[in-house]
Amino acid sequence: MSVLTLQLAGPLQSWGASARFASRRTTENAPTKSGVIGLLAAAQGLERGADLSALAALRFGVRIDQPGTQLRDFHTAHHGDTDAAMPLSERFYLADAVFLAALSGDHDLLTELHAALRTPVYLPFLGRRSCPPSRPVELAVHDGAGLEDVLRKEPWRAADWYQQRRRHDATVTLTTLTEPAPGTAAAFSTEGSAPGDTLRDQPLSFDPRHRRYALRTVHTSTVSVPNPCARPRREPPTHNPVGHLEIA
Amino acid sequence: MTSRIILDVHALQNVPPSNLNRDDTGAPKTAVYGGAIRARVSSQAWKRATRRTFQDLLPASELGVRTKRVAELLAPRITALAPAINGPEAWALAAEVLQTATGSKIEPPKRKVDAAKKSGEAAPAPESSYLMFLSARQFDALAELAVKGADDIKAFFKDKDNKALAKQLANTKHSVDIALFGRMVADTADINVDAAAQVAHALSVHRVENESDYFTAVDDHNSDAEPGAGMIGTVDFNSATLYRYAALDVDLLERNLGRGLDENTSPATPVRRAVEAFLAGFVSSLPTGKINTFGNHTLPDAVVVKLRTTRPVSFVSAFEKPVTADADGGHMEAACARLAGYIPEIERAYGDETTDTWVLRIGSATHKLSDLGTEAPSLTELVEAAGAAVATRLEQRG
Repeated sequence: MSVLTLQLAGPLQSWGASARFASRRTTENAPTKSGVIGLLAAAQGLERGADLSALAALRFGVRIDQPGTQLRDFHTAHHGDTDAAMPLSERFYLADAVFLAALSGDHDLLTELHAALRTPVYLPFLGRRSCPPSRPVELAVHDGAGLEDVLRKEPWRAADWYQQRRRHDATVTLTTLTEPAPGTAAAFSTEGSAPGDTLRDQPLSFDPRHRRYALRTVHTSTVSVPNPCARPRREPPTHNPVGHLEIA
Repeated sequence: MTSRIILDVHALQNVPPSNLNRDDTGAPKTAVYGGAIRARVSSQAWKRATRRTFQDLLPASELGVRTKRVAELLAPRITALAPAINGPEAWALAAEVLQTATGSKIEPPKRKVDAAKKSGEAAPAPESSYLMFLSARQFDALAELAVKGADDIKAFFKDKDNKALAKQLANTKHSVDIALFGRMVADTADINVDAAAQVAHALSVHRVENESDYFTAVDDHNSDAEPGAGMIGTVDFNSATLYRYAALDVDLLERNLGRGLDENTSPATPVRRAVEAFLAGFVSSLPTGKINTFGNHTLPDAVVVKLRTTRPVSFVSAFEKPVTADADGGHMEAACARLAGYIPEIERAYGDETTDTWVLRIGSATHKLSDLGTEAPSLTELVEAAGAAVATRLEQRG
């Protein structure tokens, strides 16, 4: 078992889970498993109709390093030949966000994916083709590590200006969204782990004629990560401004 | 792994007060990046502008893949999908499909038939009566259709839908468009095309605040008794120095378009022509939002084109910290300095590739970019040089 870490950063990114071909194409607040699996499959050169079972079996987790802001893009379209107006749509993006994604699974597969991201067969993008990444996507393959451990230990990847805003905090609390490990408590179990949400983004097929996704459980949690830009508040020097006055 | 051919295009373009691309409230589009609001021109707006410029630059018929021997090109694809159909049977099926799709008679030319009969050779393949251009993608789609109706092709095309589909597949008006930008509308015919070009949303390199122009319109026939305005309103606008980026996957473009079949020219010609048209179109096009109101026809002051071998690299991170205006005002010089500093750093950190770089720059504000690559004196020469390099790499690959 190893873990592949990815950084997903760019001016705009969009990860949809519930809006398909509707006029309101929303984005989740964090990268979806299907979106990231799609990115990896494209890097490997898998066609859209290819078998995804090896990739979909990886366990997925994501840490929100910089949440970004929701952006609504008003999108019009006209038919190229007839200039007839096509249906309007609003498409949502996450602007100025940075995420750390992690996938745990077979070491050889993850090493192959890491190499594929360096020489991708299809050009990579963060959810939509108009969103190329601004930083290299691949980070590292952590041999023998656990998913939750990696999400806890990886350095904070938010932009400098964002880290500077939190400089008075030695550590910051970041949200993580992870899949439960196989064989552990399911979504609605009350034993031990917190109940999970369900999201329909477990990819079964990307065939454009019939895309299929199954439900998967997502556990929301937090981790504390040190802030590299932390500067302790300087205590003012001890001084008594009125000490020289003689109070009668 | 054979090396890839990826063309990255970066441009820095000043736009004066204008509203190139607006949202449903009429305000110019914006996005937050690096914690600051930036002016934005959406990817789809600039892609549309590029498409329109592009259609003038490159009519499909000029791509040099003209041939009459379309049946001979379609037949092997049919055989590949259905090995039971081969030889003259495949030719006949191909001819039938092409006849329905293009309206042209597809049959062996009479003189060739007579010559073959005389010399005792096998019957020649059917040909179309005029030169046609069909891309690899179109041949693939027609082959699939042919195999679907192989049992009784004439009855298959009695169905209006099948006939319409065949006609649509052979429509060459948008072949190169679709190969570059993907399907325009969700037509089932093109549902499998992956766009070879990736165009990012253009962002200003600096912080921007939208401004608004209050205007009044006075009725020419107003009498002195009613001096007021006939209409009042506001137009929102901003001005920006935009960073624009596009990545073109030349390998995928070649798969979408196919190779040239004309013996007199190199097989890389259709792709080369498409790449050159895309480059020229992307650099020189402009979305026309509110163009009559603002008259903002500008061209990029700086263009950097890189021919890469492994992966595309966007330089937008150079502007994550917003550029501030110089002491004398203006963002172009500072933006160029940022870019000139960033490019060697990011390439050293992550690239071991040798990339060909061409630079087109105007004015003294862009002088810092001159060391980044070969300076081209004009856009035509930049496009020509990039096209030639792409063609050489394609031919080397064989």
